[in-house]
Amino acid sequence: MTLSVTAIFTGCSNQEVPSAAEGKQPAAEQKGPVEIDFWYAVGGHNGEVLEGLVKKFNESQDEVEVKASYQGDYYENHSKVLAAVAAGNQPDVTMVEIGVIAAFADAKVLADLGPYTEGDEEKYIPGLMKNSYWNDKLVAVPFNRSTPLLYLNRDMLEKAGLDPKGPKTWEELRQYSKALTKQEGGKTVSFGFSTPIDIWFYEALVFQSGGNILSEDGKSLAINSPEGKAPLEFWNAMIKEGIMKAPPGEKYNAWDVAKQDFINEQVGMIFTSTGDLKGLKDNAKFNVGAAFLPANKDFGVPTGGANLVMLAKSSEEEKKAAWKFMKWITETEQTIPWSLETGYMPVTQKAVESDEMKAADPNFRVALDQLQYAKPRPMVPGYKELQEVIMTEIQRNVLGQATPDEALSAAAEKAQKLLKK
Amino acid sequence: MWKEIALKRYPIRSKTGIPSQQLIEKFRPYLYVVPALAFFTLFFFYPIAYMVYLSFYDWSLLDLSAMEWVGLENFQALFTDNDFYQVLSNTFIFTVFTVALGMGIAFFLALWLNQRAKIYGVVQAAIFTPHIISLVSIAMLWMWLMDPQYGLLNAILEWFGLPAYSWLADTKSALASLVLVSVWKVVGYNTLVFIAGLQSIPKYLYEAAALDRSPAWKTLWKITIPMLSPTLFFLLIINTISSFQVFDTIYVMTQGGPVNSTNMLVFYIYEQGMDFYNGGIASAASVVEKVEVLLSCFDSFCNSDFYWMFQSGGS
Repeated sequence: MTLSVTAIFTGCSNQEVPSAAEGKQPAAEQKGPVEIDFWYAVGGHNGEVLEGLVKKFNESQDEVEVKASYQGDYYENHSKVLAAVAAGNQPDVTMVEIGVIAAFADAKVLADLGPYTEGDEEKYIPGLMKNSYWNDKLVAVPFNRSTPLLYLNRDMLEKAGLDPKGPKTWEELRQYSKALTKQEGGKTVSFGFSTPIDIWFYEALVFQSGGNILSEDGKSLAINSPEGKAPLEFWNAMIKEGIMKAPPGEKYNAWDVAKQDFINEQVGMIFTSTGDLKGLKDNAKFNVGAAFLPANKDFGVPTGGANLVMLAKSSEEEKKAAWKFMKWITETEQTIPWSLETGYMPVTQKAVESDEMKAADPNFRVALDQLQYAKPRPMVPGYKELQEVIMTEIQRNVLGQATPDEALSAAAEKAQKLLKK
Repeated sequence: MWKEIALKRYPIRSKTGIPSQQLIEKFRPYLYVVPALAFFTLFFFYPIAYMVYLSFYDWSLLDLSAMEWVGLENFQALFTDNDFYQVLSNTFIFTVFTVALGMGIAFFLALWLNQRAKIYGVVQAAIFTPHIISLVSIAMLWMWLMDPQYGLLNAILEWFGLPAYSWLADTKSALASLVLVSVWKVVGYNTLVFIAGLQSIPKYLYEAAALDRSPAWKTLWKITIPMLSPTLFFLLIINTISSFQVFDTIYVMTQGGPVNSTNMLVFYIYEQGMDFYNGGIASAASVVEKVEVLLSCFDSFCNSDFYWMFQSGGS
């Protein structure tokens, strides 16, 4: 589809849209490489792996020089990109969290990739492309993509006489959590289970209950329903029973607490992203296992992570260079080591079928296998703010300040305004 | 008054003199303030006026070409939003407690330090240190201290046999925790200013009071506090404004949570403008914030009549 559009375009005006031959010509004539800015939002070990890839790209050719810089977590990166776009010194390539692509695309900040890809987007896993199109135009390609996983302290599970493969259903998750929770002198020293009360995991539990976040037309919130209530009731019951810990901290602070507790063996099981796989494996002194998120009616997860986008304001020359980099870094040869070094999913179909991925630690395949149950995140511009609203309301409930019904109807009411935009 | 001085120094020669000369003389004093005025206009009045202008539009930093006039809709949206009322009340509670505690504690510390001159240096250095450390690193340190499970503060509480406190993790305790950090940060500076104020009070007043066998509390009430009123007034204004505009502690420690319990005006403005792309709402909230800061300063000015009279007319 995009290919044919490109063909028509090239047919009409050779001047504006670069054909393959023209694309390469000016670069060869150039004295120095084209410099492009790349802002990324993965820190720690994953950031180092990414810096390594960028360095490899810069050394592999002399037409494009990528300057990569770390901008903090997704939230911080989004804010900085926003400010930079307004000031006119935006990067050429950046990561955008997939639930926010629509907000950026709707504001015409993202470049249409169609004229550059020449059909190259066929290589990606179709399940990862659902947050890539806006108004039928390709605006983003998958890069550090994830699904949530259930991480298990297998040693702890075995010691408690539980199946080290982990719980398969919500009810089993409750039983396992109970068996793993330890008390000493009336004080809980280790919890069975912990998850940040985050929109992403809430989405997963709604999907598992057979529900959806938005109505089909995307105009209203669909969680003010039994399917939206089920996750809250499940979490509330586990917290009340004293077998689940809701980690303190806002946004990614809570995730850090959950991961730290897991490494310190103060919780036996946590939900977090597949992107944390390598980091947790390296830091834990026990046998780390990964499993599907347990099913309620069925298995279900949102996909997550970030896509790579090109900024509309960049010059034609920078855009060509930017695409060269985006294409390279999502190529099978790069996405396999990226996946094995971080835990994020490989993004090309060839990579999935490759011998390297098949030979890897089975934990690295869990997210890929889970992809068959995965749904995209809502793709409407208002979701950037709406997800914060939902998160605040479900936290209000989990902290005991509102009943599930009160929290969800408050969220639905605010959603009306946001989704009209 | 300026005109009189100017006329005295540069008398206008006669009625037959050149009128433009007269005019120059008349406007000469205004000419002198032009540089300062230009500076204020450029960096102060213009931005405020522009902010007010922006508050009548629906706009976002992402796409500045799509600005749309919406009149008072932004303000209407603000004042029909329950979260905004919570933000206002959080800001108010935080300001009242931070200013009252920050100044109260500092006042008594200053009285104490003013007496015992020997350890003055050490104690003063200790309590002033928080003021010169970046608020971001302070906030990080306090987050460790306040960790509900492994934090030092809860370890101390438990050592004394007290129940653990939830600190930043609960909606009921998070705002109080932020007040604690802000007070800790501001006390050193306030103390320093108070000590300077105390030392500028003439000794003979105290000698006279001692001769009259005035009880200590009466000396404090009738001499120290009135003589310290300019300092009190200065700190009140400075502290009120800075706690009204608290941002970094919130950004690092709580991000306004849990559940908006620590969301205050400036953070709300940031969130609306930078996270949710609602430039109009953010501008409208900024206007509200400016008005409130001005009101609270104005209020302090009005209520300080008594003290000022003592200073300017009493001696």
